[in-house]
Amino acid sequence: MANDTKVAANNAEKNKHLEEKTANVLEVQDMYLYFQTGKGIVQAVDKVDFALERGKSMVIVGESGCGKTSLGRAILRLLPENVYKYEGSCLLNGTNIMQYDDERFRKEIRWKRAALVPQSSMNSLNPVLKVSDQVAEPILIHNLADNKEQAREKAAEAFKKVGVPVDFLDRYPFELSGGMRQRVAIATSLVTDPDFIILDEPTSALDMLTQANIMNVLTRLKEEIDISFVLITHDVSTSSEIADMAAIMYAGQIVEFTDAYTFFGTPLHPYSERLMASVPTLEAEDEELGFIPGQPPSLINPPTGCRFAERCEEEFELCSEEPPSFEMEDGRTVKCWLYREGGERNANYGK
Amino acid sequence: MPTTENDLLLMAKDLRTWFEIKKWGFLHVGHVRAVDGVNFTLDRGESVSLVGESGCGKSSLAKTIMGIHQPTEGELIFEGNTVDSTDEQSMRQYKSEIGFVQQDPYGALPPFMSIQRILEEPMIVNGIKDKEKRLKRIHQVMEELKMTPVEDFLKKYPHMLSGGQQQRIVIARSLVLNPKLIMADEPVSMLDASVRVEILELIKKIQAERELAVIYITHDLSTVRYFSERIWVMYGGKIVEQSPVRDLLKEPAHPYTRALLEAISEPDADNIHNYKKVPPGEPPSLLNPPRGCRFHPRCEHMIEGLCDQEIPPDFQLANNRLTACWLFRDEEEAGDVAI
Repeated sequence: MANDTKVAANNAEKNKHLEEKTANVLEVQDMYLYFQTGKGIVQAVDKVDFALERGKSMVIVGESGCGKTSLGRAILRLLPENVYKYEGSCLLNGTNIMQYDDERFRKEIRWKRAALVPQSSMNSLNPVLKVSDQVAEPILIHNLADNKEQAREKAAEAFKKVGVPVDFLDRYPFELSGGMRQRVAIATSLVTDPDFIILDEPTSALDMLTQANIMNVLTRLKEEIDISFVLITHDVSTSSEIADMAAIMYAGQIVEFTDAYTFFGTPLHPYSERLMASVPTLEAEDEELGFIPGQPPSLINPPTGCRFAERCEEEFELCSEEPPSFEMEDGRTVKCWLYREGGERNANYGK
Repeated sequence: MPTTENDLLLMAKDLRTWFEIKKWGFLHVGHVRAVDGVNFTLDRGESVSLVGESGCGKSSLAKTIMGIHQPTEGELIFEGNTVDSTDEQSMRQYKSEIGFVQQDPYGALPPFMSIQRILEEPMIVNGIKDKEKRLKRIHQVMEELKMTPVEDFLKKYPHMLSGGQQQRIVIARSLVLNPKLIMADEPVSMLDASVRVEILELIKKIQAERELAVIYITHDLSTVRYFSERIWVMYGGKIVEQSPVRDLLKEPAHPYTRALLEAISEPDADNIHNYKKVPPGEPPSLLNPPRGCRFHPRCEHMIEGLCDQEIPPDFQLANNRLTACWLFRDEEEAGDVAI
């Protein structure tokens, strides 16, 4: 018994670290997530590093099957059963939450400090429960309210934040439009006041006007409350509405981590370049849209060298070895042999 | 642009497709006016994009054109003949002239059929009994789509192909009957950005080579420019603007089209400092559409007593543009689209 109180006190002491406002809200170092399947080991997330500054938001872009969703789930430890390797460190407000056991992680981290809006969550609202009950659920589970009324009030607050009229609280999901349901899903992640929210393809199933509305909601939230968003998407154009930083993922690895101006302007890695060239725009004059021939490699036994080499126009001898992540002077990183530590582009190679 | 009668492939006159809503199976509640008074012309070999939000009736219009839904009113004229949905023989002929490219390739291909069987199916249904002939056509289409070596693909099953390859099989299937019109319903929305362009280029190439007419249904305005010469914008069961793509992107006429263009994000890092301008409210219910112009409750240029009372007709603007908006009632002929 005495031991228990001691543990509790100890935990409370440790949790104080979580309250600290470190410069980086989230720091992921050497994160691995491999899955065991019948065909072999899938290297879904392979040595991923990045750091997100407090109050900033980032986007993780890449083709489907490149490990974006797995990375999001690895951060929140929402894993399937066939995990083969799951290691690395994940610092939330400077505290390594990878050391927590599952029970503690569930109680103290997931949803309370970091929430996830999964892909097509707007379609996974429970059809037989009022939306208010669904939004209030995390509050009750984490004992953040004394009673149901208080939880309901908090839910109403979250509704206001995302722009859903409060009289929608007593409606059922089928009575709401797609855009409203998506807002409700976002409200569900906001009620516990987390430090950051991972949004997995929040606008992919929505119409243009609704997409713009949702992005407006996120922009406003960013201004009004101290929160960071991690946006997982393949829609580069839409992500530009809230992204301060961009992580470009290819075949389980982050090939470039950079600020939004570089990414949307002059991306460094050849893959990012080609990706940006394939984004359709309204303003550009008549130029042909580019595309990347070929397919991403299988994540079971991926190539030993640079994983993009096969599809890269600037491939040269060095590419048969895996490039390290070179850090530029201003902190951007790029995983490509065309660059050198410090930021200079290797003039001897490539185009 | 519509010119002589010979060039005209398909024309719709006041086309309406309504679906009856019943309570308990027999009590009449009302009609969902999914397609409500649509007029258009489509030339041979022309590529048109049909743009609109979900629930605006674009898929219902597509299905009406393909003969899956029977129009409640109005008529479709294909190569000079009215399409008669009661005549089974001519309907079969008509349907074989239109190829359909579905949105989700994985859902559109039966998983238990080999690629060869999938591609043969439309020809078997349409009574091409000679197997040699069927295989010859399959080879021809597959080579056109650069799916070589053909034999390797024919033995495979859909799950063995990547998303892009699956979509090419769907396109191949739509082409084996040598149609004159291809209806492509969001053909790339399920694919990755990098593959997307490849598929769009492919459809474009085939369209040019075969002089196919293509109706490209999408809600992604930013890809339209790379693909079509003309665009139809649909809202609340009606086509509200018809225009060459370039003119529309430069100077959108209808307030709804303007709202759509403003809502599109360009990949630009400065976007984080701005909010998007979005019209208030939501698209109308097609069961009880608003009186007058269907966009008027959301429109900032609404003219009281006119827009909320009377349905605007199509006004003709310069460059063969049509728009159903009362703002252009005096500017017909003048072609001046500034407000």
